[in-house]
Amino acid sequence: MAAVGSSSAADPTRAGKEAALAAASKCAAGEPRLAIVFASSWFDQTTLVKAISEVLEGVPLVGASTSGEILESGPVSHTCLVVLLASKTMRWTTGFAEKLDQAPRKAGQQVAYMASKSFPLPQRIGFLFFGDGLSVRYSEVLSGIQEVLGTNSIMVGAMAGDDQRFSHTYQYHGGQVITGGIVGVLFGGQGSFGIGIEHGFAPISKPRRVTRSSANKLIELDRKPAASVYEEYLGADVLSRMRLEGVTRQSLAYPLGIQAEGSNQFLLRNVVAFKDDGSLSCSGEVIEGSWMQLMISSRSLGQEAARRAAQKAIQTVPKPACVLVFSSFARMKLQGPAAMAAEVAAIRQVIGRETPIAGFYSYAEQASSDDAALQNRVAMQTGSVLVLAIGP
Amino acid sequence: MQHLWSLLIVGIVSTLAMPFIDWPWRGVALFLILGSLGGLALLLSSFHRQIAELDRLRAAYNQLDLQAKLVIKTDIELHRTQEELDRRLASLLALHTLGRQLQLSERPDQLFSKLDVQTVANFGFSKGLLGICTGSEAVEWRSLVGLNEPIADRIHKLLVGSGLYAKLMERRDPLLIQASVAPDATQRQLLQLLDVPMAVLARITPAAGPSGLLVLGRAGSAITAKADEELVAILSNQLSATIANSALYESAWNAQQELERKVQQRTHELADANEELIRLNKAKSNFVSAVSHELRTPLAAIKGYASLLNNGQFGELLPPQKERLGKIEKHSDLLTQFINNLLDIARIESGRVTMERRAISLDEFLMTLQDIIRPQMDAKHINYIVERNGLTHIFGDSQHLHRVFMNLMSNAIKYTPENGEIRFGFARDKTDKDKITMSIADNGCGIPPDDLPKLFQEFYRSADPINQQVRGTGLGLALVKRIVEAHQGKIWVTSERGKGSTFFVSLPADGGVTA
Repeated sequence: MAAVGSSSAADPTRAGKEAALAAASKCAAGEPRLAIVFASSWFDQTTLVKAISEVLEGVPLVGASTSGEILESGPVSHTCLVVLLASKTMRWTTGFAEKLDQAPRKAGQQVAYMASKSFPLPQRIGFLFFGDGLSVRYSEVLSGIQEVLGTNSIMVGAMAGDDQRFSHTYQYHGGQVITGGIVGVLFGGQGSFGIGIEHGFAPISKPRRVTRSSANKLIELDRKPAASVYEEYLGADVLSRMRLEGVTRQSLAYPLGIQAEGSNQFLLRNVVAFKDDGSLSCSGEVIEGSWMQLMISSRSLGQEAARRAAQKAIQTVPKPACVLVFSSFARMKLQGPAAMAAEVAAIRQVIGRETPIAGFYSYAEQASSDDAALQNRVAMQTGSVLVLAIGP
Repeated sequence: MQHLWSLLIVGIVSTLAMPFIDWPWRGVALFLILGSLGGLALLLSSFHRQIAELDRLRAAYNQLDLQAKLVIKTDIELHRTQEELDRRLASLLALHTLGRQLQLSERPDQLFSKLDVQTVANFGFSKGLLGICTGSEAVEWRSLVGLNEPIADRIHKLLVGSGLYAKLMERRDPLLIQASVAPDATQRQLLQLLDVPMAVLARITPAAGPSGLLVLGRAGSAITAKADEELVAILSNQLSATIANSALYESAWNAQQELERKVQQRTHELADANEELIRLNKAKSNFVSAVSHELRTPLAAIKGYASLLNNGQFGELLPPQKERLGKIEKHSDLLTQFINNLLDIARIESGRVTMERRAISLDEFLMTLQDIIRPQMDAKHINYIVERNGLTHIFGDSQHLHRVFMNLMSNAIKYTPENGEIRFGFARDKTDKDKITMSIADNGCGIPPDDLPKLFQEFYRSADPINQQVRGTGLGLALVKRIVEAHQGKIWVTSERGKGSTFFVSLPADGGVTA
């Protein structure tokens, strides 16, 4: 069973208490419970989490700051949202790690180890995590997690936001607030995760080989400065404006798609900065030698993607207790609140009226791919909508 | 194709084998060489066709890429339009929301604290400052969003120091500053302090109430900069209008509060004064009562001795002596009457007199009254008319009411000319059937309008010539009023100069009085 409580009160103590009380009033107290909190970065984070912890005394808590929150009705902002899960058959243990950017693999190991060391059951359902949305070295983080939990573990995550200020994101663990870290919760027992991740973008340019890159920095495509692809397709004036303005609607509207080897799927990478030397800072790692194309989408493709993601999620869990939705902030910025409300409505249509929905607008999404060619590899996506169905 | 390649290989092998073989095998080899040469020609032709096909495909591919570029450029235009529309829509919604938040009941200076994070974000900005002008070039920041106080103070100093503040206060429109359009050094510094590439500054100048300064900044696309400028203009106008309305509201509210305060204060003062008056009146009554008692005893002795002397009890008196004693008696009577009236008024006021509530036969009442007044009326040939209107009784204290009507009737006679007319009327009140109104109307000279309100005051005597001829105490009508009021009744007078006066007495007609 799951319940969602929310509050958009300006005062963090009031917002936290209202959201926690609203969730607690709908959720049976007799069963083991888990609180998942998503809250606007505008709140004073420590005060907010303290208020929630005081109401939900003793309940394990994980969560993250957002770039907008998702409720049943659609997108909201400046809101605190508490998802309370209660189950007799499922178990969960939580963990956290800090300094994600300095030692990403170690942080992955730490969070996984902390969550799994005291896990009481042999059956593991999956690992849900929320990481710093400004960190980009997630392949190493995921490697670290997999070194502890094993490569076959289902992993799903969303990267915390800060209302597009790109300054600090926050992660919540128990009554504690950390920044630049990762928190996770390991689920086990009788239950399963249903995951669907889609972006609704299609390639539009010629494919280009990544001839030079470093971490999230894309330096050359086909031995030319990477930015030249934008200059070629969007024009020099648009490029100069994008260079000046940073993350704009234009740069989000035409992300780069990395085609996975032997797969038809594209992993999206948003350009977060256009450097003077013609290189691009991307929202995720770019592997040298991969093929990249400029991508394009539309509102209808976006809604269709959300619908497909929901359908994939309930293939494994037909009757979920709760559905968490992590949608890219880029989708919100690009398509606006009305389209995002339609996206949530499309998900609601697929999963049914009874199941509670909650989520947030994230800086990146992580999920195991369902593409056979990718062999269940976890890949970081941006610009996607990730639907996680948790249920028996 | 493979066959052609095989034939070519066979031809090469045959050519190489030619020096080492004889006829007829050499002829076979020659045939094979010719055949392979033909195959080579065919192969070359096929290659040529494939290259042409490849060129065609490449051209089509490039054409598709060109189309893709065209699609993207069209899409960019659509995005721009969409972005601007979204921005304007979001701004309108934000304005609507803000309009609802800004309550008129709030004080004008409190409105400057209303720019919060959510409002700024709703307007699509990330930084916001709203300050109230507290003096010449002095600004007190009341709302800070995304900025701390030291930065806000630096912004203020920069604006004032560069003269931009003064220019802003003169501008009707907001000032849009964009990093992309090469602003001057001050504007660049301002953007750096705000840490945004675009900012809009606007003055807030309400018709009433304090003025202020609004600064909003944001990162992101410059496409909607014009829309931002328009939005800030609307926002600053809305704030100005709300502040002005709030100031007017506050002014009206304060005026009302002041009025209420004054009314309360005056009410208190009046109540205090009334209490003081009551206290003084009671003290006066007590004083009068005490003094009157003390006066009556020696006065009775004076009057008694004067009467005895005048009657010759102590010997015959000379006529001048008799005349003087007569005056002593007369003035003693007047003084006694005066003292009695004073005592009665004091008694009634102090509540020491209880009025009886008995049915009084109108026949008897009028008869008693007429016995006394008839000689005076006859002397002046006054036509005396009684209009009973079917009433048979009145209710009250017979003795005191007798005094009332005796007094009123004496006044009427005094002011009615020779051959005049006096009407004594009794009637049930038209609006209140539980009351009987009695009226005594004369056709005398009437009472001056200025005298009417003072008639029932103690010691007031009208300055008309008739009244001046008669000695009086000035207590008659005051006593009448006290007696009527002690009956829970009411007395009033109407008069017209030259036509006469009418005194009305309204008394409760305790149930059972029949017409």
